[in-house]
Amino acid sequence: MPLALRNLLANKGRLVRSSAGIGFAVLLMLVQLGFERGFFDASLATVRQLDGDLVIISKSNYRFASADPFPRDYLRAAAKVAGVASVSPLYAAWQSFSWKDPAGDQSYLVQAFAFDPAHPAFLLPGVTADAARLKEEDSVIVDRRARRFLGMVSGTGETEINGRKVHIVGGFALGPDFMSDGTVMMSERSFAALLPGNRLSAADLPVEFGMVKIRPGEDLSSVQQAVGAALPHDVRVLTRPQLIAFERDFQADVSSAGPIFWMGTMVGFVVGMLISYQIIYTDLSDQLPQYATLKGMGYENSYLVRAVLAQAALSALAGYAPAWLACLVVYRVIGAVSLLPLHMTWELTLLSFGLTLGMCLLSAVLAVRRVIAADPAEIF
Amino acid sequence: MPLQVAWRMLVDQKGRSALATGGIFIAILLVFIELGFFVAVPQGGMLIYDHMSFDLLVCSNRYLFQAQSGQFPRARLAAARTVAEVSAASPVYLGGAKWQDANGGLKVDISVIGIDPQAGIFAVPDIERQNAVLDRPDTVLVDGSSRSLFGPLQAERIVDIGGHRMTIGGVYELGTGFLGLGIALASEANFFRMFPERPPDTVNLGLVSLKPGADPARAADALRAILPADMQVFTRPELVAHEVAYWTTRTATGLIFGSGLVVSFVVGIMVLYQTLATQITRQLPQFATLKAIGHTNRYLDAIVLSESFLITAVAFVPALGAALAIYALIRSETLLPLTLSAAQLGAVLLITLVMAAASAFLSLGSLRRADPAEVF
Repeated sequence: MPLALRNLLANKGRLVRSSAGIGFAVLLMLVQLGFERGFFDASLATVRQLDGDLVIISKSNYRFASADPFPRDYLRAAAKVAGVASVSPLYAAWQSFSWKDPAGDQSYLVQAFAFDPAHPAFLLPGVTADAARLKEEDSVIVDRRARRFLGMVSGTGETEINGRKVHIVGGFALGPDFMSDGTVMMSERSFAALLPGNRLSAADLPVEFGMVKIRPGEDLSSVQQAVGAALPHDVRVLTRPQLIAFERDFQADVSSAGPIFWMGTMVGFVVGMLISYQIIYTDLSDQLPQYATLKGMGYENSYLVRAVLAQAALSALAGYAPAWLACLVVYRVIGAVSLLPLHMTWELTLLSFGLTLGMCLLSAVLAVRRVIAADPAEIF
Repeated sequence: MPLQVAWRMLVDQKGRSALATGGIFIAILLVFIELGFFVAVPQGGMLIYDHMSFDLLVCSNRYLFQAQSGQFPRARLAAARTVAEVSAASPVYLGGAKWQDANGGLKVDISVIGIDPQAGIFAVPDIERQNAVLDRPDTVLVDGSSRSLFGPLQAERIVDIGGHRMTIGGVYELGTGFLGLGIALASEANFFRMFPERPPDTVNLGLVSLKPGADPARAADALRAILPADMQVFTRPELVAHEVAYWTTRTATGLIFGSGLVVSFVVGIMVLYQTLATQITRQLPQFATLKAIGHTNRYLDAIVLSESFLITAVAFVPALGAALAIYALIRSETLLPLTLSAAQLGAVLLITLVMAAASAFLSLGSLRRADPAEVF
């Protein structure tokens, strides 16, 4: 058994204490990193579920969730472009759909989408499965993962939107973000009827997004250019990844979540470094005679330093593993209660383990001077 | 005196004590930061109310929080003025519109607040100073912390708000809270030019001022008695409780920062405990000696507790300083109104004392091992 491992296991009580100390620092970092990712993922969840190869959007629009519609005629022009298989409209509203909690009296603003039930604009399994039922007038499907107080969980029953009675005919799982507590989807016809102050029919209503699908085998970027060229200059055509990047840039620009949770992660790192420094320093002080003896026997400083660093890396691992497992539970519990998408990913695992290893090794480097200074002659 | 003994033991090993203080400094700082975030979100939600002068708020019973306030007929304010204690009832109009540069470009969502400039609604020097500017036709004031998406906010710039050309009359510093990415302030007449579709007799918030000496709670009851059931009335403490409850229970932020606070508390105890246990292990011979010369276990416990509180007290001061510096940094980076109130300071102090006591009790176990016979 290598010296580092034997040192680590020599005192079981101390091993538990040090693992707990390092583990809590790791948990702190993992939770903060997870929140940062969760905030971001929540704000991108809707965009990621859009079903289309290309998306037509107003040039003056600055984010996905902002009403900035363009004339529906544009879609007809786009449909004529060679290589385009279909173009369908997606209507949206963020500030004008007031949803009444079916079980109560209070109403809340919700995010609303509308499309041709034959061409649901979303990839969400619940939407594609229940879209056909939206042909019925004043029927809606709702987000079962919406905030609980909206009363959308069951996906059945009836309620009112903007004071008009609607039937809930199905549901999907999307989740709230930081702008909307819940989402409803419906046909274009129902949308036109429910939109406050609207006197236009669905066919004349300006659309928020044009969802373009291209024919199999066509080159995406050349179709994108052709569609762009066929349309007036007040709209632009984005690929799905470009639209996601567009939204991500906006969120990164305005959101406070990034700096807050990075600061939390850094504090976790510093706390972890302090804890592991305490542990390693105490450990080295206790075993100074042993290290001095090894030196007296002729072992090089480099051998001792390697042993100390290896032991630090092992204690990093011993603290990391239980913290990682505990974090799975924390993510699940907080994710279920806060409806925030908290998931352990490879990226999070590697990043947090890198930070853990870094903090333990850094504190070992700071503490190891004691071993280098150990003088065999002085000890005995 | 256990306290004196504890102090001497700490001073005797200056290097180690400094290290321990450093660890506890970080633990306290962590609690400061997490508590700061926890209260910053509701504070952000209250920011605009905090700078408005009123004793009671009347609003629609559909009022959810400031940004979803609902509307009510202006005649309700006239009814409110008939209550004996009421000295004034002023309307506040809220609306969301698109902001675009006069030469085109992005259409950005802006929140617009409409007020009567003469009603003294905002207790913000920047706004009071520019009251006359608000009276100019087609002129707005903009909040200086509106996001960079809105472009340069210099006076005389012409922008399009809600399809109407408006002139920026000036900038004021208040903060946007959670009302939106940016805020424009306008007089009633200018407000309705930006929202031509909106019926001019609809109000979002009614700010009621009371005559000197009137009891807000009793005046609120009187208002509730004469206003129809589709209205609600808040005293200031009730409004704070309502908005704080909204942000901490209806959004994810309360839970997220609350759990951050709990984790920071546990980590704080861990750090303190590690530090104290190490300290005691190193001082075991001293403790054993004290035992050998006849001191009781209780006396030794008192020393450990004193050590714990001494280190914590010494670490608290620099942690407070560092927390203030970090709050300032976060304020400038995120626009969250992160400030340290006396209540927060007290809460951190209390949490710190609990952490110190909890970790001292945890580490008493190592103290019991102090055996005079074994040490020598």
